[in-house]
Amino acid sequence: MSGPLPPLAQAGEGFVRDRDAGSGASCVADDGVCPGWIVDHLDRYADPLARHVLLTVVAIAIGFAISFSLGLLAHRRRWLVAPIVQVTGILYTIPSLALFFLLLPITGRGFLTAEIALVSYTLLIIFRNVVTGLDGVPPDVVDAARGMGLDERQVLWQVQIPLALPEIAAGLRIAATTTVGLASLAFFAGAGGLGDPIYADPNFKSNVLVAGGLCVLLAIVLDLAILGAQRLLTPWTRRAVAG
Amino acid sequence: MSTPEPSPTGAPAAPPSSDAERPPAQLELADVVKRYPGAAEATIDGLSLVVPAGEILVLVGPSGCGKTTAMRMVNRMIEPTSGRILIDGRPNTDRPAADLRREIGYVIQQTGLFPHRTIAENVATVPRLLGWPRARIDARTTELLELVGLDPELAGRYPAQLSGGQRQRVGVARALAVDPPLMLMDEPFGAIDPITRERLQNEFLRLQGTVRRTIVFVTHDIDEAIKMGDRIAVMRPGGHLAQYATPAELLLSPADEFVEQFVGADRALKRLALARVRDLALEPVVRVRYGDPVGWVREQLQASDGPVVPYPLVVDADGRPLAWLDEDDLRGERVADGVGSVVATVERDDVLRDAFSDVLAHRVQYAAVVDGAGAVIGVLSSDAVARELAPGPAPARPLDAPAGPGAAA
Repeated sequence: MSGPLPPLAQAGEGFVRDRDAGSGASCVADDGVCPGWIVDHLDRYADPLARHVLLTVVAIAIGFAISFSLGLLAHRRRWLVAPIVQVTGILYTIPSLALFFLLLPITGRGFLTAEIALVSYTLLIIFRNVVTGLDGVPPDVVDAARGMGLDERQVLWQVQIPLALPEIAAGLRIAATTTVGLASLAFFAGAGGLGDPIYADPNFKSNVLVAGGLCVLLAIVLDLAILGAQRLLTPWTRRAVAG
Repeated sequence: MSTPEPSPTGAPAAPPSSDAERPPAQLELADVVKRYPGAAEATIDGLSLVVPAGEILVLVGPSGCGKTTAMRMVNRMIEPTSGRILIDGRPNTDRPAADLRREIGYVIQQTGLFPHRTIAENVATVPRLLGWPRARIDARTTELLELVGLDPELAGRYPAQLSGGQRQRVGVARALAVDPPLMLMDEPFGAIDPITRERLQNEFLRLQGTVRRTIVFVTHDIDEAIKMGDRIAVMRPGGHLAQYATPAELLLSPADEFVEQFVGADRALKRLALARVRDLALEPVVRVRYGDPVGWVREQLQASDGPVVPYPLVVDADGRPLAWLDEDDLRGERVADGVGSVVATVERDDVLRDAFSDVLAHRVQYAAVVDGAGAVIGVLSSDAVARELAPGPAPARPLDAPAGPGAAA
């Protein structure tokens, strides 16, 4: 890329900053929490929310694909665990804003830059849980599986991975919650999301409350969705244990 | 050889599910060696033995003797350094390990049940690997659960919802699923409380009477070995075979000091676990009823020829034992109602050890042996048990002058 760097963030791009105070104008003028205004302007947040969901879900999906593959690889070749944890650990440590800046000359502003950063943050969490989950499969179960004639692929896919699912799902839940939060910074990379409205008018409490509230809500919904999927996939963990 | 109990009320003989019924296999280990790189001593050092089809081989020995390694080499969970393992004459290396293992039942101490699969799915593991049709798998699963004494209601449960004993039964059912000609069992009852273990052992022996598989059974418990084994291979640390014999031979003539020590100082008593009451000659007894004239009872005691139990036994109208009478009870005109001392009652099929224990626990050192209906058929005495334990044929007249070996000829 040549020429001067584009500004990192153009506050509130694409977001209607006009407070458009109809009813309760005084409340709006005071930057207060104005239920009337919120109800009237909820639709403004639909696009940023959709964008936020997309940012999060894509990051989790890609992060999971990478971490899961790395986890399977490292489960076979134990020596890979330490270097993978180190590299993903470093990625996890870089402040997200710094990472956006670092990526700007390479990938420019936009969705891709945001995704690279968001995916980087999921790797360590999901990878570690995949490895822990696979390690936690009782050795006698694996021994019995081999002893009955399951080949290595069958042992992995029919025994080890199903039994590692609760641990993997736990990793996904942490990663999802973290990513929802980080995605509100994606706006600095010009990728939109709920960060957009927040930074467009950070002094207006109604605005911050709605955008921030939607972030929290999204985190809860994703968390419950993953938990629900895990419960569905691992019915054996739900049954009461007999004496 | 342990004799299967005739139990008409027990598990019904499994109806041969068409093509599932397969004959047991003969297993042969020929000079098998396992040496781990860098280890000073071999884990298995030249192990050779033959297990006839349909018998239980017990590998027994202290920890580190290589018994589990020896077992795991049969289904190639461990590959031997040298030597051959033949199943029905066929080397176990002539096909992929996974294919071989599907033909060999596998039961381990911790059961290794799949926690994420239901009991039915666990039992169906190998049939599914072999691609059996659904209907056949379902039928076989139900049949197997009944065979190992589990309520088919449990089929939909997960292993965590079962007790330890039930889980172990599922493990056995799973191993029997495709009626494998050979089964490997690594301390299958090791992690179970003593009472349940005893019951599972008995059930398993009864089951083996029906299914007649060739079984390699690993344990560190010599009592279990004696109880379960048709043949016992005692292993010594360093992977040497110390003795390969039937349980009776092992107890009667241990090959060396190691085996003698391992078998234990009470090996004579242990032999009691191998015999049953019916194996001994029962002694005749004078049977009387309450109300019989005392004079007549005394006559009977004297009249019988040959050795007889010195106490008359009171029986009821159906011949069931009620009480032993002694001198004090034989007073007055007739035998008074309710007198006498408690009778130990044993059945013909009882293990001698349990029967003997019962005899010892009673004041009168004789036990009434009853048939299935509870009627007395004879008496077991502690003398008879002692004679059974003495090695070799008992000398007819112990005090006779010794005769030279050639004297009788």
